Amino acid sequence: MCGIVGYAGARDALPVLSDGLKNLEYRGYDSAGVALCEGGAPTVYKTVGEVDDLRAVLPDASEATVGVGHTRWSTHGEPTDANAHPHTDCTGDVAVVHNGIIDNYDDLKAELEADGHAFASETDTEVVPHLVEAELADGASPADAFAAAVARIEGSFALAMVVDGTDAIYLARQDSPLCVGHGDGETFVGSDVTAFLEHAREVTYLENGDVAVVTADELVVEHDGERVERPVEQVEWEADAAEKGGYEHYMLKEIHEQPRALRQTLSGRIDALEGEVDLDVDLPREYLNSLEEVQFVACGTSYHAGLYAANLVEEHADVRATVHVASEYQFRGGRDPWRTLVVAVTQSGETAETLAALREADRTGARTLAVTNVVGSSVTRLADENLYIRAGPEIGVAATKTFVSQVTSLALLAVHVGRERDELTPTEASDLLEDARGLPGAVQRVLDADAQVRAVAEAYADSDAFFFIGRALGHSVALESALKLKEISYDHAEGFPAGELKHGPLALVTDDTPVVAVLTGGARAAETVNSVKEVESRGAPVVGLCTDGIGEKFVDDALAVPDLGAMSPLVANVYAQLFAYHVANLKGRAIDKPRNLAKSVTVE
Amino acid sequence: MKAVILAAGEGTRLRPLTESRPKPMLPAANRPLLEHVVEAVRDAGIEDIVLVVGYRRERIQSHFQDGDDWGVNIEYAVQAKQLGTGHAVLQAEPHVDGPFVALNGDRVVDAADVERVVERVERDHETTVAVRRSERPSDFGVVTLDGDRVVSLVEKPPKHAAPSDVVNAGIYGFTPAAFDALRETESAGERAVTDTLERLADEGVVRAVTLQGRWLDVSHLWDLLRVNGRVVADDTAPSARVADRASVVGDVTLGADCRLRPGARVLPGSALGANVSVGANAVVANSVVLPDATIGAGAVVRDAVVGENATIAANATVEGGFADVTVGTTVHEDVRLGAVVGDNARVGGAATLTPGTVVGNRVDVETGAHVDGRIESDALVRRA
Repeated sequence: MCGIVGYAGARDALPVLSDGLKNLEYRGYDSAGVALCEGGAPTVYKTVGEVDDLRAVLPDASEATVGVGHTRWSTHGEPTDANAHPHTDCTGDVAVVHNGIIDNYDDLKAELEADGHAFASETDTEVVPHLVEAELADGASPADAFAAAVARIEGSFALAMVVDGTDAIYLARQDSPLCVGHGDGETFVGSDVTAFLEHAREVTYLENGDVAVVTADELVVEHDGERVERPVEQVEWEADAAEKGGYEHYMLKEIHEQPRALRQTLSGRIDALEGEVDLDVDLPREYLNSLEEVQFVACGTSYHAGLYAANLVEEHADVRATVHVASEYQFRGGRDPWRTLVVAVTQSGETAETLAALREADRTGARTLAVTNVVGSSVTRLADENLYIRAGPEIGVAATKTFVSQVTSLALLAVHVGRERDELTPTEASDLLEDARGLPGAVQRVLDADAQVRAVAEAYADSDAFFFIGRALGHSVALESALKLKEISYDHAEGFPAGELKHGPLALVTDDTPVVAVLTGGARAAETVNSVKEVESRGAPVVGLCTDGIGEKFVDDALAVPDLGAMSPLVANVYAQLFAYHVANLKGRAIDKPRNLAKSVTVE
Repeated sequence: MKAVILAAGEGTRLRPLTESRPKPMLPAANRPLLEHVVEAVRDAGIEDIVLVVGYRRERIQSHFQDGDDWGVNIEYAVQAKQLGTGHAVLQAEPHVDGPFVALNGDRVVDAADVERVVERVERDHETTVAVRRSERPSDFGVVTLDGDRVVSLVEKPPKHAAPSDVVNAGIYGFTPAAFDALRETESAGERAVTDTLERLADEGVVRAVTLQGRWLDVSHLWDLLRVNGRVVADDTAPSARVADRASVVGDVTLGADCRLRPGARVLPGSALGANVSVGANAVVANSVVLPDATIGAGAVVRDAVVGENATIAANATVEGGFADVTVGTTVHEDVRLGAVVGDNARVGGAATLTPGTVVGNRVDVETGAHVDGRIESDALVRRA
């Protein structure tokens, strides 16, 4: 969840590191630091706060041409200057930055302290420089000392180290991403390619168990003590696509990018007239016909995309579909792994819990499919098959365009499986795909009504709590809508299946708790209208997301959702995104970097 | 050198198309007018662009982002209220610290002409205005010249009183001093660049540069077809799919993921946006079709603008040709316009649209209905 950057080359390392940290800031942001090799022991600057706070303590210039940097999101120890990375050993000759968690750090720390090492922080990371120090004192070379230290630690980690007397950066990776960018006579390190994308497009991704040494013009990777070659891949992303382009927040920019993202998601994949889908995934017809269950495994927003998809798969492909929160996932009894398809949904492809669940599924022998936005991410190397959602880079912590692209990709998967299992006729498939094809235009219609949503948000922003209700596909949208609002506005927001209201949550409904109801196709709107009447009679204001004016006369504010059949609730969700955005913005929240949250959660 | 491109305007005469997008985002050959302007500016050697945006600015910002896709750096200045072109230029002041060019974002011009203005203002550091000859000078600001010095500038004079046929072409070269001049110009409500130019011309400090290339202005809906016809080229996106028995004739632009079914014919002067589908045996001629639109089997669409995500169902007919079209209170006689169909509108099967029909956004025209005149947005047209 934190960010690592490194540079070895000929130019000044300081601006490269500082810009890299800025690029990575969305990943973690309670403290930041750099270590610069200026000849002699590395010079460390670090502080609590955002990268801009670090910039305030950094010197204007440094002669260093090698260095590492880090932005941190606390797991072990409070965000303090001492706990910020880089961490050093007793001599100050070794500086280390780390993402992940070292599970056996208690034991190692006790052992090192018994040997006389003095610890300056409460972090798990600090054991690494002290372990290296001990090896160096025994006469090992920096590379050997680093490898020996890595061999002693357990857990998940991406490590980068600099040492007095060398121009190299030492790297190790286990279950936490780390990549190397190749420039012309210079080399970059990042926990994510966005750290250095403006400088280098040729990238090597390290694999689990790799230990590597980076210099200005070389990357040497070892795995189990053997020298190995890792492929160099070309990254086609635009680094600058991550800039705000006139919008106040990335989130709003990304909300408005949805029509474009959806066109990319759909491009070349559907033939609406003939009812055919081409996803370029290798799931043979015989296999799909033998399926007994599709399991969706995901966290957060991706979990809600899974809920939406499970509904579609059961209805259109006639196969049992279950949805699992990745951290709760186990391959439990009563299932035949050979007849189970496990679909991991993760925007970043680096979500630790989803990766762990996928490994569990893989162990049982189930076939796995990753649905992700990031080409080359960890999940893609783990899963048997990959389906890319093609939403383009998403910077805002609150997922928006990736949710609609996930659901759309999964809807295409449902149609594909339905066709292969002969559960859908070409005509039925054609209708579904025609609805999918209409998504960019329908979402644009919602975006064009932004002023209306803003007015609704202004009317209700100061309410006690917000409830979102819906049925069927509308239920998953209600959950996602509530998540979006709570993430960025810090208001209490809950989503419920509309029918569940009277079984408890109705007790919370007052005239100061607006209720947002999904009243569209695919969401059993007529039944939800009864729930609307229930809350209305308790005095709650109701905002209806209505197709064809369903329930319009029972709601206080109606927002029109174009009729797109089973895709209508997804379009309604765009209203909820705008609503969450405006409520949070009216309250002056840090929309792109909400408190306590980070974009991709790479620790369990 | 920076360029300030004015793109905050709404373009009320181009409704319904401008109800949901600003006028500079109307497409010619599948690319917004503003994109043609940005490219002309870039090809004139300017890398730093300030877009002054306002009405529906999200459409512009989402399209251009930071300009990377065009190899330019784009910054945005927001004109919250449309208080005139002069006011718009003033919004760019914090982004500009040297000589700059300012031009309209909805008028297609050539890079070479932008370069002429750039060179002149770089050389002389004087206020420069691009001029050209016009057959209808009194529709524009008429300029009187003495050599290359502008002696006077008169906005839209009566036809008989136009002092010359040289008009202001709307590309300006300014120094930062222009900001003060714009501020000092008295204004009642709107503040136009031309008010300031009139004053500066009286002081004798405005130079003129004569344009030599294209100058394509979209004032009315039918102009979109004319301008599209001028810029459209034979260009098919790699992801577009044209069935073996479909045909594309002459200069036609097909966007990404366009699909032409067997027997579909797309004739010269047409541009089909991304994800547009044309059904079997349908005919599209001299038309601008916006992204995601669907043209059903057997439909005929001539001289038409079809809005985003609109549907022309099977066998519907836009026969095309000339008509008298009313805009506001003015009747424009004999213009070439088959029809305009608004965004998300649906023209039902076998419906017919009389030449000159303007169908609003989200209008639903029932199967077999016959439509003429102007249909307001969100209306339902029943079969008589």
